[in-house]
Amino acid sequence: MRNSSWRAMLRSPLVVIVLVVLVWFVATFLVLPNANLLISTFFPEGKISVRALEKLVSSERALKSLWHSFALAATLAVTVNVVGIFIVLVTDYFKIRGSRVLWLGYATTLIYGGIVLAAGYNFIYGKNGFITNAALKVFPDIDPNWFSGYFAVVVVMTLATTTNHMLFLGSSLAKIDYQTIEAARNMGASTWRILWRIVLPALRPMIFAVTVLTFLTGLGALTAPLVLGGTDFQTIAPMILTFSKSSGSRDLAALLAIILGLATIVLLAMMNRVEKSGTYFSVAKVATPLQKQRIRNPLANALVHVAAYVLFVVYALPVLLIVLFSFLESTAISTGTITWDAFTLANYATVFGTPAVLKPFVVSVVYSALASLIVVLGMLFVARVFQKHRNPVTALLEYLLHIPWILPTILIALALVMTFDRPNPLIGGQVLTGTTLLLLVAYVIIKIPFTLRLLKAAFASVPESLEDAARILGAGPLFTLRTVLVPLVLPTAAAITALNFNSLLDDYDTAVFLYHPLYEPLGLAIRASTEGENNLDAMSITFVYTVLLMIIMGFTMWLVYGRGGASSRRRGSRRGTPRAGAGLAGSGAPAAPVPAAAAAVVTVSPVPAPGP
Amino acid sequence: MHKRTFTTASVATIILSTMVLASCASAESGGSEGGGDAGGTLIVYTNSNSDGRGEWVTAQAKEAGLDIEIVGLGGADLANRIVAEKNNPVGDVVFGLNNMFFETLKSEEAVTAYEPAWSAEVDQESGDPEDGVFWPLVEQAIVTVYDTNKTPEADAPTELADLWEDSAYDGRYEVNTALGQATPQLVLAGLLAPYLDEDGDLGVSDEGWEQVEGYFAHGSPAEEGTDLYARMTRGDVDFGVLPSSGITSRDAEYGTKTGVISPADGVPYVTEQIAVIAGTPRQDAAEEFIDWFGSAETQGAFAAEFASYPVNEGARAEALPEVVELIESLPKQDIDYALTRENIGAWVEKTELEYLP
Repeated sequence: MRNSSWRAMLRSPLVVIVLVVLVWFVATFLVLPNANLLISTFFPEGKISVRALEKLVSSERALKSLWHSFALAATLAVTVNVVGIFIVLVTDYFKIRGSRVLWLGYATTLIYGGIVLAAGYNFIYGKNGFITNAALKVFPDIDPNWFSGYFAVVVVMTLATTTNHMLFLGSSLAKIDYQTIEAARNMGASTWRILWRIVLPALRPMIFAVTVLTFLTGLGALTAPLVLGGTDFQTIAPMILTFSKSSGSRDLAALLAIILGLATIVLLAMMNRVEKSGTYFSVAKVATPLQKQRIRNPLANALVHVAAYVLFVVYALPVLLIVLFSFLESTAISTGTITWDAFTLANYATVFGTPAVLKPFVVSVVYSALASLIVVLGMLFVARVFQKHRNPVTALLEYLLHIPWILPTILIALALVMTFDRPNPLIGGQVLTGTTLLLLVAYVIIKIPFTLRLLKAAFASVPESLEDAARILGAGPLFTLRTVLVPLVLPTAAAITALNFNSLLDDYDTAVFLYHPLYEPLGLAIRASTEGENNLDAMSITFVYTVLLMIIMGFTMWLVYGRGGASSRRRGSRRGTPRAGAGLAGSGAPAAPVPAAAAAVVTVSPVPAPGP
Repeated sequence: MHKRTFTTASVATIILSTMVLASCASAESGGSEGGGDAGGTLIVYTNSNSDGRGEWVTAQAKEAGLDIEIVGLGGADLANRIVAEKNNPVGDVVFGLNNMFFETLKSEEAVTAYEPAWSAEVDQESGDPEDGVFWPLVEQAIVTVYDTNKTPEADAPTELADLWEDSAYDGRYEVNTALGQATPQLVLAGLLAPYLDEDGDLGVSDEGWEQVEGYFAHGSPAEEGTDLYARMTRGDVDFGVLPSSGITSRDAEYGTKTGVISPADGVPYVTEQIAVIAGTPRQDAAEEFIDWFGSAETQGAFAAEFASYPVNEGARAEALPEVVELIESLPKQDIDYALTRENIGAWVEKTELEYLP
């Protein structure tokens, strides 16, 4: 039973420990530093300053950029859901020929992003892109700038941000009880009706969670508008970046970021309300794993196949191009004249010729791995407590944990440096500035909101009957959490860990202020080797690093899904659910194990049911 | 069971690695808290480490018996980091930032005065003539360039304002809108310098702001990830701004022959400086590094290697002839850097809010 009574909450020692640690952490690392910085920003000399607001309101450019960011976020919330759900359905729900290859193509967004992704699309469809050039030869009247502005940004960002759908919606889909679908079909429901009335409603908690993430990504859009937006569609993020680096304009940066953050929080609150009103688990005692559906209408089937493969090509092209470009001379790339002579290994030689080239990789891998494991382990407890005990205190704590979404990363990093540059009683009188620990703390902090949101959504689909059963059988709370609950959310937790790891690997904004001089992380090393007035190979070297990062990230995903899938399949068969991930169970390939990993833990299936 | 070993393994990894990190951390903080730790690697902060400069300096310093570690960050980021760390400094020496950034560091008391052994060999006017906190190393001009193969010298404007006042150049010159960076800030400072007026908005007359508006309104914004010369070769633009040290390598790479617009008032110059970071426990080593790095010998070798124009008069003979010729042909624009430093934040803010495309 979801509990809102205080006494019940405090009765469990585990909950008390989690709460005490959480309150300490939130107060020390989230509230204190940022409050210090914000107070000195908005209340210089002790009185409130409305300067920032006045400046903002009187700037047409700022208001327009702000509006663009909101428009982009709102558009993406729709388009990403459409494309993302389509992708999940064709890879995991419908019977599509070659769905494993399709999955690989769609999964390319897992392993690259940012400037490289935007540049990749620009090289294909942009003003000097080869598709544009080819089209111009046939139809000379086309506007060479056709792929720019709002339209181009929406297209690129839609394709780039379906990652969360693939991972999290995919694993939710696998938990649907197949019996409900079979029953509906026996009652004569059409493919679309089943999809619309049974499958999609069951996915609602996860759809809400990923929609919030998508909205947030849209608000924070930085590189895609810079590269593809042209003068007509610039967003607010570049302005926030410039302002947060200048001490005099920091109030404006904070104000703009808070406006974006509040919008996210409002959306979050709305989603929380909707989520609360439903219950998302099945009453079925013996759930049957999902089987892939054939699309019965031949025309629809053909259309879905065509759409799936067109999307596949669109997804895969930029990646192939980046790998290709990493072997090209930089002048050939920038002037768009590619000949056989232009192919070279010089870019790789430059990267590997740098002294101590491996060290930044090791440093970043260690930091990213530690931070992503710590944050997921911590948030497993926190999300569980929040989900089980709903009262004003946990609600407040939950919102405080979203601070990293509200403030720009740069401000969070600066606040940490300035707060912990003297012995602080909250951390036992230690000084953290200038130590290797501070960057780890920062990495953990900035990954909290993402981790918490998705873990909460994962816990939401766990039925209480399981927990009750464990308690009746005499299991303690920690034992129950470890052996009953965690395995159920493990696929999601593993996916979050991998995503956090991948995104921290080439981080620059946090590390730039916090890294220890002797332990330079990868983001800094990449920047150092691509910056410089005389460095004309910057883009090629970025591509080389991207290819190397793709290899590491691809390996991470394989570790999590390839091996995880295999082990849970073994576990699954021991538990007597041999049909887990039916079409895929036989494959040893790392290609499409997501559904398998998820399906193996199907003991429950999330279908909306009347509340208990 | 597999999952169990996975969890145990990850917990063990976390505990082990945290211990490793923590032990590094306590060793480090122990070192800096002690205050008297004069040994150890000298941490050198710089924004001038790219193009192999960082590795070169490290290697040369080692030969001279100095053990240094270069921390390279972009100009604005580096200045922010030093100010943020000033109560517990991590770096010992900083070099490469321009006068404006050093004025900021000085006013924040993040750097401290030291008179180098080579102080008599440089023009102190280029550094900090009042207090001698920071000292000049190399000079660069911020110039507007074009390719003389495509744009004959006769067709190029003689004054920068022609670019936005003459419709022939409309959209044909690149403007860098990333105003958080040093070079675009200097361009802005150069645009506003002739129009300083105490009664105007932020100390600049309306006419000055009209220049800024015109400059950005008629320019073509820089493309993220695309070099100016690549755009010039493609024919997207004909003119653009570049620090003078970048010309030589680009002409070689793109086959261009660079021409430079030389306005009557001159062009903005930046002087890269060096100083000791206040509160460093390795004061002696820091001073030793400064004495070595700014010396005529080291600066001469640096100039020959990286086409820089050294301030140290004893080092100029080593500089590349084309660099010396270019720099000496370009008059210095009269810019009050102390005043610019005080106002640049507000100027950038106003430009960002009102004038950027």
